[in-house]
Amino acid sequence: MSAKYAILGLVIERPGYGYQLARRLEERFGSSAFAPSGVYSALDQLSRDELVRAAGEVGSGPARRAAPRMIYEATDEGVQHFEAWMLGSSPAPPLRDELHMKIALCRPRNVPALIDMIYGQELACMARLRELKLVSEHESAGDGQEWSRLMRILVRDAEIASWKARIEWLQNARELLERLLEDPARVDPRGAPAASERGSPRERAGRLRAL
Amino acid sequence: MSDALLMLETVSKSYWRGTHELRVLTELSLEMDAGEFTVVWGKRGAGKTTLLKVAAGLEPCDRGRVCFQGLDLAGMSESEHARLMRERIAWVRHSGPRSELRMIDYVALPLLPAYGHRSAYSRAREALARVGITECAQQYWQSLSDGERALVGVARGIARKPSLLLVDDPTANLDRREREELVTLLRELADGGVGVLMTVPEMNEMMSAHQIGSLSGGRLIAPPRQPPPSNVIEFPGTERLV
Repeated sequence: MSAKYAILGLVIERPGYGYQLARRLEERFGSSAFAPSGVYSALDQLSRDELVRAAGEVGSGPARRAAPRMIYEATDEGVQHFEAWMLGSSPAPPLRDELHMKIALCRPRNVPALIDMIYGQELACMARLRELKLVSEHESAGDGQEWSRLMRILVRDAEIASWKARIEWLQNARELLERLLEDPARVDPRGAPAASERGSPRERAGRLRAL
Repeated sequence: MSDALLMLETVSKSYWRGTHELRVLTELSLEMDAGEFTVVWGKRGAGKTTLLKVAAGLEPCDRGRVCFQGLDLAGMSESEHARLMRERIAWVRHSGPRSELRMIDYVALPLLPAYGHRSAYSRAREALARVGITECAQQYWQSLSDGERALVGVARGIARKPSLLLVDDPTANLDRREREELVTLLRELADGGVGVLMTVPEMNEMMSAHQIGSLSGGRLIAPPRQPPPSNVIEFPGTERLV
């Protein structure tokens, strides 16, 4: 997802320079939503399209070692463009990702590696949930403006719901693949993993811990 | 010796159905400190209750080690373990008394042998007040709502002032508000210094915990207790994972 509309919306709320906008973007959407460099390319594109314009500069502090920072504000056209985007329909999120494809196309010999990969993803999703939990605690402790706080909570809840659904699906997929692995009768012998590839439960647990 | 309140080290546990082995816990490791609220989520049949029983030493593990405050539970005599369960570890129960006991009696009853009548009832009143249901002290189990019953269970657990509270799916039958209140209470108890290990069937209840984990296929999947540096995890791909 491009940061273009997010940046335009933030500039309409309050003019700011690149670094400020990157910080506000992170506050609003979390650190994993947009790459910081995306802010500057979004600002370049918005300037080229005349949706934002320079509204002055701020200095670089008493040492004057860094270049002055350009402050951006929205143009009238930018505000109209943003309103049109706000009222327009939003596409459904993509349903398929690379792991789905790998599972769809895997051969029995790939199953042990896929199980390990799914385990790794479960761990990463849990870590992300934990991160969001920490944000929640910070949020409830803060005394930010009620409107933006509620909007941030809604966006975060959407992310939490998506990670939870992902974890449940990963768990089901892993349990099913593990059952397949333990029941050679259900696996096509031409593509079945060699006994050495499957490993004992203890060896597999060791591999998982090493992830 | 570890400083951890509770440590499960590569614990495995199976049940046998004739010749069929039902692996419930596989090389599961978990560590928690005093004042830590740990919540483990798992579907029905994932082994959540077994995990708590093994953590309390009520079920022996087949492999691995369970230590409470650095002491290996397997090395304890029956009387030492009974004392541990009486004084340091509390299990929050779902079920209530079958007899016609008022809730104050129900909470005070297990304390009577150790503390005597006066002190036991004083602790019971304190525990009911701590969970916010002083008004239920004179009530009977049958007259309580599911939310109040869950709170009585917690009150009975904390009345002995344990170091570790084990809570097995306390949110069943509760509505959303009651669930949130119960989880907030458990978090507050942990913030007050009690270690709380809770299992839940819904992920929503994990969000107030200090440490979270998911139990499935016998394995506990838990992120490191300290947040990993954000620059080494990439979402949603796996290429640079961990």
